[in-house]
Amino acid sequence: MVVFALLIINKAGGLVYNREFHTGLAKLSSNDLLILAGTFHGVHAITRSLIPSSLKPISNPGTPQNFPQRPSGLEVLESSHFRLTCFQTLTGTKFLLFTEPAQPNVDSVIKRIYELYTDFVMKNPFYTVEMPIRCQKFDAGLDAFVRVKS
Amino acid sequence: MVVYSFYIFDRHTECIYTKRWTPRPISNSTKAATIASNGDSNASRHKALSKEDDAKLIFGVVFSLRNLVQRLAGEDNSFISYRTGEYKLHYYETPTRMKFVMLTDTKTNNLRVALHQIWASLYVEYVVKNPLSPVEHAGGVGVANELFEQGLERFVGTVLA
Repeated sequence: MVVFALLIINKAGGLVYNREFHTGLAKLSSNDLLILAGTFHGVHAITRSLIPSSLKPISNPGTPQNFPQRPSGLEVLESSHFRLTCFQTLTGTKFLLFTEPAQPNVDSVIKRIYELYTDFVMKNPFYTVEMPIRCQKFDAGLDAFVRVKS
Repeated sequence: MVVYSFYIFDRHTECIYTKRWTPRPISNSTKAATIASNGDSNASRHKALSKEDDAKLIFGVVFSLRNLVQRLAGEDNSFISYRTGEYKLHYYETPTRMKFVMLTDTKTNNLRVALHQIWASLYVEYVVKNPLSPVEHAGGVGVANELFEQGLERFVGTVLA
């Protein structure tokens, strides 16, 4: 299994973490990565509004729902060289995982990465939310998980 | 498999052909292609986008994603499709930079080959080879001719059914 890279985008569209595990994608400068993250954030928002009209939920505007079904936005992007899986948490943080096109079980990998994030980033008392992630334990945990799997 | 809509963009970024299908076509075949206008009551969140707005948004999305994908893995890497929880968008770009886009349900497999077929066997045959059709289809002139429409309808009805 080949996992190329992991990006974490905060809910404002800023890149807070990027990590390359395996060469295969083009080398991008940090500036280009920031642009990429911002672009993806915008595209993700548009894909949520592009739902075919026949699929839109028919609900009464008068009755507010507690938990309205929100469209999910881009989840998997396929290209000839890689596959991009996007997992969005309930708070709007996006995890982008670049893998091989034929990679199975990306969902479980991304769930595990989310667990590592909650354990080592969110529970870190010195971490400020929405800011770039610099946590050694998170790095080490990712390395151990992704490298062992590959 | 359900096909929701189909778009063609020319190399000048203009949308030259749009077609939308209702999920369950009405028995009358000529009515089947009418635009799904089932009274969008949920106007608060989903403001009803006009046909043109939808096409512009779709162009923006595929253009950005195509550039993103090429920047990440080189010029020869091509964007194929993306999937959300609700729909899947398939993309095919011809060597002349025409873009064919199709929106289907999420369970559909890759439609790149089908879009290539639409280009090769319908668009080239009925639009490019039509002597009365202009070279550039500004505003969609010459694309939506009868043979092309029929061919597309048949293709979607049989091959993609």
